[in-house]
Amino acid sequence: MKNASIGSYILRRLLQTIPVILGVVVVNFLLLQLAPGDLATVIAGEAGGATPEYIAELRARFGQDQPLFVQLLNYMGNLLTFDLGYSFRQSAPVLDLLLDRLGPTLLLMGTTLVVSLSLGILLGLLAALWVKTWKDHLISVTAVLLYATPLFWVGLMLVLVFAVKLDWFPTSGMENVVAFHEGWDRVWDIAHHLILPTVTLSVFYLALYARLMRASMLEQRGLDYVTTARAKGLTDAQITRRHVFRNALLPVVTMAGVQTGSLLGGSVVVEAVFAWPGLGQLAYQSLFARDYNLLLGIFFLSAILVVVVNLVVDIIYVILDPRIRLG
Amino acid sequence: MKSFLLTAAGLALATALSVGGALAQTQGGTLVQITQPEPPNLAPYVSTSGPIAQVTSKVFDGLLEYNFDLEPQPSLAESWEVSADGLTITFNLRDDVVFHDGTPLTSEDVRFTIMDVLREAHPRGIATFRNVIAVETPDRHTAIFRLDAPAPYLMMALNSAESPILPAHIYAEGDIRAHGNANEPIGSGPFVFTEWRRGEFVRLDRNDNYWRDGQPYLDRIVVRFIADASTRTAVLEQGEAHVAGFGAVPYQDVRRLEALDTIEVTTRGYEMISPIVEMIFNTQEPPFDNQMVRQAVNYAIDRQFVIDNVWFGYGVPASGPISSNFEPSGLFGRGIDFSVPDRIDIANRLLDEAGFPRGADGIRFEITHDVTPYGEEWQRFGEITVQNLAEIGIRATLRYEDLPTWLARTYTDYDFQLTSNFLFNQADPVIGVHRGIHSDRILPGTVFVNGSRWSSPETDALMDAATVATNAATRQQAYQALVPLVTEASPVAYVLELRYPTVHSTQFADVITSPIGIYGNYAFAHQR
Repeated sequence: MKNASIGSYILRRLLQTIPVILGVVVVNFLLLQLAPGDLATVIAGEAGGATPEYIAELRARFGQDQPLFVQLLNYMGNLLTFDLGYSFRQSAPVLDLLLDRLGPTLLLMGTTLVVSLSLGILLGLLAALWVKTWKDHLISVTAVLLYATPLFWVGLMLVLVFAVKLDWFPTSGMENVVAFHEGWDRVWDIAHHLILPTVTLSVFYLALYARLMRASMLEQRGLDYVTTARAKGLTDAQITRRHVFRNALLPVVTMAGVQTGSLLGGSVVVEAVFAWPGLGQLAYQSLFARDYNLLLGIFFLSAILVVVVNLVVDIIYVILDPRIRLG
Repeated sequence: MKSFLLTAAGLALATALSVGGALAQTQGGTLVQITQPEPPNLAPYVSTSGPIAQVTSKVFDGLLEYNFDLEPQPSLAESWEVSADGLTITFNLRDDVVFHDGTPLTSEDVRFTIMDVLREAHPRGIATFRNVIAVETPDRHTAIFRLDAPAPYLMMALNSAESPILPAHIYAEGDIRAHGNANEPIGSGPFVFTEWRRGEFVRLDRNDNYWRDGQPYLDRIVVRFIADASTRTAVLEQGEAHVAGFGAVPYQDVRRLEALDTIEVTTRGYEMISPIVEMIFNTQEPPFDNQMVRQAVNYAIDRQFVIDNVWFGYGVPASGPISSNFEPSGLFGRGIDFSVPDRIDIANRLLDEAGFPRGADGIRFEITHDVTPYGEEWQRFGEITVQNLAEIGIRATLRYEDLPTWLARTYTDYDFQLTSNFLFNQADPVIGVHRGIHSDRILPGTVFVNGSRWSSPETDALMDAATVATNAATRQQAYQALVPLVTEASPVAYVLELRYPTVHSTQFADVITSPIGIYGNYAFAHQR
């Protein structure tokens, strides 16, 4: 019975996302038109003095000589068949480009999510248990410092210390491009390359989740149900484990869902510093080249990613707290 | 032009001898090059985005190569002859060249590449090959260019970076502008394209059937793309990459890397590119419609200070629109010297005469100065310009925008007063210099042409003469007359000739062997 209701809930939620994603596409399409300059001038700019015929021909090929609403309708029509268009700058279909980059991005985001959530929750929990002792202060102050440090600076410092000075990790990239490892050697090589970027991207979210977890734990501990539990004769450890911890997790999980979007944003910086071949770098490049087909494709994919993660978060809610109803 | 043919044959012999002597080089090794930014595609025949040719010049061959004195050298063409009237150019092709798919190169490939691809779709080729009305192929190894007007600069545009020769049987299929091999190039060069993992690297492997016997020496070239400048420096320092050019390494870091035993720095390899840092005036609107005001700004810029403090010594003051790299080929001209000791006094006097007296606060007038969106050094240059202009009573405010916005402002809307910029002289002034000052290059919406919108019948005539003159001395006279006129009118302030540093590892030798530097094919590069 419960499985069936989760199934129909997921279906209903997925249907609801369709207008959301369409809205994202239309708004982005119109927003991008506001940016001055276009792909044709950028491509011609790289030519260092192209002829006007060449630029006019480029515009015609890109469909930019059509009225705006025709361009939008064409784009939406193609989208219905999952045709994301062609990137004229990169001379490749947008979908291929996106799929190439999706893997590395998901890998980096996934490890970051796991590391920052687990460590953040653990540190927040410990700080709450040790509240107002020197250990709590140490954790809280460190969290504030990490929260306030710019990502790119953390990245560069990690490279300088652990790659250049200590030589423990490679400076950048996703794998060794001189050796070209295969099989398990390659998996190991990629994991080795993954450590510094993951640490860099995790630092901010780890601090965020630790602080939130601590506050949430402390808040829950003061609530009436804890007094009731104590009156029933449960030990502090039992109360913390069975009641407070589960309830305290809810805001952290909510925040983790909300932050997926910003995690994608943060990965632009980290990918740049570590030359990680993900979507963030692709978005950055295509914006400065006014490669709208590609950029719209990235927005489309990011919107789907964020919607899916939030759906997963909602389902986790139900598992954590059965009182939350589907609907 | 019999002597031309003889010289070419002599050069071929010299190259053959040097190749024979070089056979003892160590084989093997992977050279890692850093290219910044990542190329958008690998189709150098339809796009001239700089990073593309840094990769594809190793995969394709051109008809010719060039030495450091900018003289043509044999490549796919083992000899050539230009007729006295300049209307016929005959290329004799090597008969031992095969493309990477095993098909032999023939004159038809040359005809297809020039007439159907470069002349039709290459952003610069459209202009370079405009006068070529036909390429005749009397036999498999002879290609004859027929021109309707002489084009002496054409002989300078035939290297593999600028005019790569494509296999017709592959690239003639389908639309050349969206070709299936746009990201998987097939050529006849020393390295074969293997893989491009976007955001990471391009891998090129040794071409075992390359026509230069025993070459290339390297097993592999990997071109890496690293968006962050500090990371690029760290990668070179760690020896994870071996060569980087074109400002990929920040100038202050180059000085630091230079001190390491494992790294060498050279400024050679840009003689056919010749970048000049300039400032463009909007000559159609006040205050810069006044020649005296433009001259005053030209005098006000402290060129040596900019060279020492922004480009860390990697430059020399420019003496006009034409780079001193053209001195050996005789196409150089020297203009007014704006770096005289009393330049500030002269500038102030010019502004007084032009009718812009200082106000009570010492300010004559205010302007907005647009900064080229090519990186931090341009911002520093802008800041110094603000200080320099303040000395002569002009208050400048900086504006920094992204590339497409700035291009539209400068070349489409002309909505600017003063902007910094690059002028790449390229292989010949006709290709790289005329576009900035000729009246027929005032083209709204076309970028990197005459953005100042200044021109004069006299300078137009001199450039037109230099375009068609087959005689080197005639071209020389035209340019020597042109440059003083241009600097006097000052539609553009030519600030400095940039000497890009190329950083490379001491593990490898003979990496930079031609005036196109990292656009070279690395056939001679080898491990030490």
